[in-house]
This record gives sequence, structure tokens and C-alpha cells, in this order.
Amino acid sequence: MKEKTIDADQSTLCNRRRFLRASGAVTALAPWAISDALRHPALASELRAKQRNVILLWLAGGASQLETWDPKPGRLTGGPFAAIPTSVPGIHISELMPKMAQRLQDTAIIRSLNTKDGSHGSGAQLMHLGRRDEASLRYPDLGAVIAKELGRADSQVPDYVSFYTATEGRQNAVGQSGFLGARYAPMFLTTESQPEFLTRLPDLSAVDHQHREDFRRLLSRRFAEQRRGGRVPSHNEAYARIHGLMSSAKLFDIEQEPQSVRDRYGPTLFGQQALIARRLVEAGTPFVKVSRAWWDSHGQNFETHLELVTELDHVMSTLLDDLSERGLLENTLVITMAEFGRTPTINASLGRDHFARAWSATLSGCGIRGGSVFGKTDEDGQHVADGEIGAAELFATIYQALGIDHEHEYYQGPRPIPLTDAGTTPVLDVLA
Amino acid sequence: MTSQLDPTKLKLADSHARKEILFRMAVTGDRLLVGGSDAIVHDIDLAAEPTKDVRQLSEHRGYVSGCVAHGNTLISGAYDGKLIWWNIETAEVIQVKAAHCRWVRNLAISNDGALVASVSDDMDCHVWDLQSGQKIRTLRGHADKTPQHFPSMLYAVAFSNDGLHLATADRIGKMIVWSLETGEKAAEFTAEKMYTWDPKQRIHSIGGIRSLAFSPDDRLLASGGIGHIGNIDHLGALARVEIFDWSKNERVHEFAGDKHKGLVEQIRFAPNGQWLMAIGGDNGGFIQFYDLEKGEILWQDKAPMHVHDVWMDDQQIVAVGHQRIAVWKPAT
Repeated sequence: MKEKTIDADQSTLCNRRRFLRASGAVTALAPWAISDALRHPALASELRAKQRNVILLWLAGGASQLETWDPKPGRLTGGPFAAIPTSVPGIHISELMPKMAQRLQDTAIIRSLNTKDGSHGSGAQLMHLGRRDEASLRYPDLGAVIAKELGRADSQVPDYVSFYTATEGRQNAVGQSGFLGARYAPMFLTTESQPEFLTRLPDLSAVDHQHREDFRRLLSRRFAEQRRGGRVPSHNEAYARIHGLMSSAKLFDIEQEPQSVRDRYGPTLFGQQALIARRLVEAGTPFVKVSRAWWDSHGQNFETHLELVTELDHVMSTLLDDLSERGLLENTLVITMAEFGRTPTINASLGRDHFARAWSATLSGCGIRGGSVFGKTDEDGQHVADGEIGAAELFATIYQALGIDHEHEYYQGPRPIPLTDAGTTPVLDVLA
Repeated sequence: MTSQLDPTKLKLADSHARKEILFRMAVTGDRLLVGGSDAIVHDIDLAAEPTKDVRQLSEHRGYVSGCVAHGNTLISGAYDGKLIWWNIETAEVIQVKAAHCRWVRNLAISNDGALVASVSDDMDCHVWDLQSGQKIRTLRGHADKTPQHFPSMLYAVAFSNDGLHLATADRIGKMIVWSLETGEKAAEFTAEKMYTWDPKQRIHSIGGIRSLAFSPDDRLLASGGIGHIGNIDHLGALARVEIFDWSKNERVHEFAGDKHKGLVEQIRFAPNGQWLMAIGGDNGGFIQFYDLEKGEILWQDKAPMHVHDVWMDDQQIVAVGHQRIAVWKPAT
């Protein structure tokens, strides 16, 4: 095969095969170095061609579809916000999202989710798994499946990172790797945006640290020579991953970014974590969930949404712009969803309550036909009028957008388990 | 207003269901002019049995969030940022002002009926000549962002009884007393115990100061809001009133309530200054009277709805709120 020159203008020519081989090796570039390397356009495009990623913006507590993607201005259920036109003729969204309105060409809106579960706990579980656990079988969530399907076995970066800083609802959003096992469980970050206990102890030098690892390997090899079975290799793999994770600590440090980039994402925690998410997918993490809690606005829905949707609009539009400018958006799927939406009926506290009967989610970027709307609710937003889908169809659509066959089967013993339940079909209208 | 109304003898006399959420009201004679979520000011004959909708004043394009009247003139303000001057008798529009670039939150009228003040989420307070509609001055002093970098809101405004000062209050619990003569700040302070922000569980704002009123002698400034909320999904904390000797920046009373939860949407002092009325609610509503001498609740009752605005004379209290109008009268 003819070897391809990456960039003839550079005095140090890189070799594509050598680079990919090196970047895939445990002993090769540190994750932050991969991130730096990705700034080289030709290298980046080659590597990105192999890597697809997901950033899930999890709107914990249930964002209102009426104040975001499916406004009903002029109706008593519509609330006080107007609808505004978008960059796509004929599509209107809430006036709280002026930045996304200018960038809708990369986003598909699904307005016809009926997930039939208005409970935070079970609703969140459904929207993480795409289906229900069985009594004797725990399914992997979306992040775990993506980690397995799109993660690299030799990756030094974590495959599945999940941020959830607010305390409310956190227990509903804990990652579940199910029958895929702990290998695909998330790195779950709560109180801090950077992993704890990931840095080398200050009184332990790098040399001493390496000597300890060499000694551990020696003992492990001697131990393994006396035994059969898979436990020892698994043990060693875990250590290797820990070393990889330790070297990826810089990915979580937004101080590594220029001030202008940090300013662009803004000062809020949600913005900062979205920036970390971009750094992670850029370095090869296939799935990052950034949870913004808590949208459960039984009281003062409009003021809460004025605050939170304004933030979402800024963070999401900045993230999409940043991904696009770095050539990452075509391979990165950005999802917004929650456990449910909110009632069209406005309660006495000027709030909206839980509502799973007719609500919205969005898909942007990788594999998506941007500027499209699928499904329709009635004039008051009380029911799905057209194109009703559930969680399974949304998940099948996500898998298809990423080039993953949603009918692909895992096995639990002799039992085949498709990624989505049999008979599920993706929403082709929103796929590129 | 009069102090002849004895709060302890009040009974709920009438309660009328409506389809709209009613936010602000003005009463002139037997007519109730009330603005709501349908962007309409409803002109209602309160003396009719049952109450009768006389006509609708419909020029706004957003929730009507301010209504004040003087003589035959009504001024309404709305989430569309506009103020509209109306001829009450003919229901004709006298003039429309594109007053604010964000939601108008409330209007206040001076005791002599000469001035109207409007506050908005653009964080400006404009003072208007009621007769001519001319803007007299703009008062700016509230930050447009909360300390957590989210949009702030300017909820409340009140004139002093002597017409010398005007007070404004915002989402982060900050109050400013302005000199109307100079437009300068006469006092600036914060109600530290009013709930405004959940930093940990849910990480968003709620609460703030929703209502203001000067005492009859103008020495005190009362502020209404909500106490510490454990679960900000709901307005699940006791209604809260704090009263300041504003020229000394000293809190002299605080009423945390002992029963009713929610926001204190409006405050009214008795003309003799002996008591203070607070109304508001969460999913339900309340009406509370505080004895200012004893520092305790004088009388309280559950309202049939979350109350957004109230009017009283020596015969009755009229309240409007979530899809309902309620009237309290002394028991006979």
C-alpha cells in the first residue's frame, strides 16, 4: 500500500500508518498529546475518520419542551415566551434560544417523544437504557454501549465519562454498564470536574512510580505463570488503564485551554464541563455525558427556564461551533434529552409538572440531517399529533447515526440481545 | 385604604373562577381592571351579581404584569415591554410606550397620582409623568446578572407616601431607595435571609424580593419573598417578610410565618401602621396580617388561589391570582 504523507509542508513528515500505530499503542502519546496532535489538520482528519463520539447534554429533572424546542405561543399553555424563526425556514423554537436558532442547520429536533413514564427515577432509567431492565438482566446504558462499540481496546483515555455536579437527581443518572461489565462503567464525576486521586502523590517521583509498576508487573507475570484463567490478564489490564487515566488528567483541566476559549464557553459549571467534554472527545473518549441539573420546575417554571435555557443556548451553540471549527462535529453526535418534558398546563405556582406524553429531544452533528424536525404535537402540546416514538426508536436512531447497527446482538450465554428491542426502527427522517 | 378594617373579623365572601392567570389589578369605583396571562386587561363590574365582564382591553402581546389607575386613566405594563395608557371609560388607547426591552415586572403609582414607575428585567426603573406619559428619569443600579452569572430580574417597586423616594428590589435580594428629586441612591442594602439561590442541590435561582411597601410614616420599608427552600422544585418554604429602617440600614422586623408557604407577592401597610398585610402563595395561596407592635401574626387564612395582587378599603379586600378572583369582607 502506498504510504500517505500527512503534511508535506512540515519539515518533520509524519507517516499516517506510523502515527495511527503509535497513537493506538499503550506506550505512545499521552492523551493530552493526542489532543495536541489533533490540532494538526491532516492528522486530525485521518484519526477522526476512525473515531466517532457522543456528547450527551442530560437535562436532568426534565426540561420543558415548550420553552425550548416546541413552543406554543399564543396558547394559554404556551407560557410567556415567544417563538422565533431559525436559520432553517419554517422552523421556530423558543425565543430563549436565539443562538441555537441561528445554528439549527446542524440539529434535528424530535418533537414527538411519548415515553409514558413521568417518574424521575424510572423515566431517567428508561432514557439511559432505551428500554427496561429485566428481573434477571441489567442492560448497559447508552454510554456503556457507545464505549464498547466505539472505544478502542488500547485507549489510554476513559471510554465513558459522566459529569453530574448537582446533588438532586444524581442517583437517577448513575451510569449502568449492565451485562457488559465494569469495563464499560463510567468515570463518574460529581463534586469536582476533575477526577480525584488521579494524580501521582507529590512525594512519589515519576521514576519511583515507574519502578513500582515494573516490580508489580514482574510479580504479576510470575504469578500468572503458575495459574490459568482470565483473572490475571484482567487485573493487569485494569492497572494499564489506571496508568492511562493518570496520564489523561490534563484533559480535565480547562486551564490548558487558551483564555479566549474558556471565555467563549462562559463562566458557568455547565459551560466548563462542556469544554472538558470537547477536550475528551477530541482526545478519543467516545462518550461524555454532561448533566445539567435541575430542571424540575414545579414552581416558577418560566424564571427557571429563562435561566437554564439561556445557559443551555449559550453552551450548546458554543459547543457545536467549537466542534465544527475543529472538524469534530461531523464525527460527534451531540444529544439533548432528559427523563421527560413538562406539562403544557401551567400550575398555580407558575410551574409545569412532569410530562412524558409529548416532549422533545435533539440530535446534532454526526450522522444527522440537520435542520430537520420530526414529529408534531397538537396546538396546546398535550398530545403527539404525528410521528410518535418512544425511547427505543430514539436509541435506534442514535446508534444508526453513529454507524452502529441497532440490531447488532450481544450474547448473554446463548441468548442473543439486540442493541434495541426487536422490531424497533430508527427515525430515518433525521438521519443524513 | 383605612385602618378601620379589622383583619381578625375577615371572612372569604366571594370567589370567582377565571380561565386566565391574573397578575395585576387596579380598582376604580366598582370596576376591577385586571391583567393576565391572556395579554388582556379585563374590565370587570365587581358590583354585579355575579361579577360581570364589561369589556376587554387587548393591545398587549404578553402577560399583563402591571396595572395602575388614576381618575379615568389606566396604565398597563406587560411582558412585551410596553406601557399603555388607556381611557377607562372609552377603553381607547391614549398612547403606547415601548418602555423596556425585557419583561415589565410591575408598576407603581405615587400617592398623588402624578407619577408612575415601571420596573423590568432590563433592570431599569423608569419614572413617568402619569398625565403626559413623558419619561422623567431612569434609575439604574441593579446588576443585570446574578453573582452566578445568570440573568437577574427587577421585580418590585414602591413609592414612599410623601413622594420623595422610590424603592426597587431584585432577584438577588438587593433593595435600593432612590431620591426622586435627584435620582441618586438614598440607601442600598440586601435582605440576606431572603432565599435567592440553591448552590448545591439544584444549582439555579429562585425567590428574590417580590414585593415592597413603605410604612405610612415612610420610616420603614417592608420587603416580601420566601425563606430558605429545601426543595426549590416547589415554592416549598415559609413566606417571609423583612422590614427595614431603611435610612439606618437596619432590619427591625422579620416575619418568617408559621404556616403558609410560598412567595409574598404583595405587601400593604394599614394606614395607621399597626399591621401589615402580605399575600401570595405556592400551589395554594395565603393572606396574612402581621401585628407590627407585637411582632406576631395577627390573622391568617388560606386563599383559594395563589394570589398575585390585592386591593383593600375599609369594606373589603379584593385579590386576584391563579385563575380566580377572591373577596374577603368583615363577618357580619
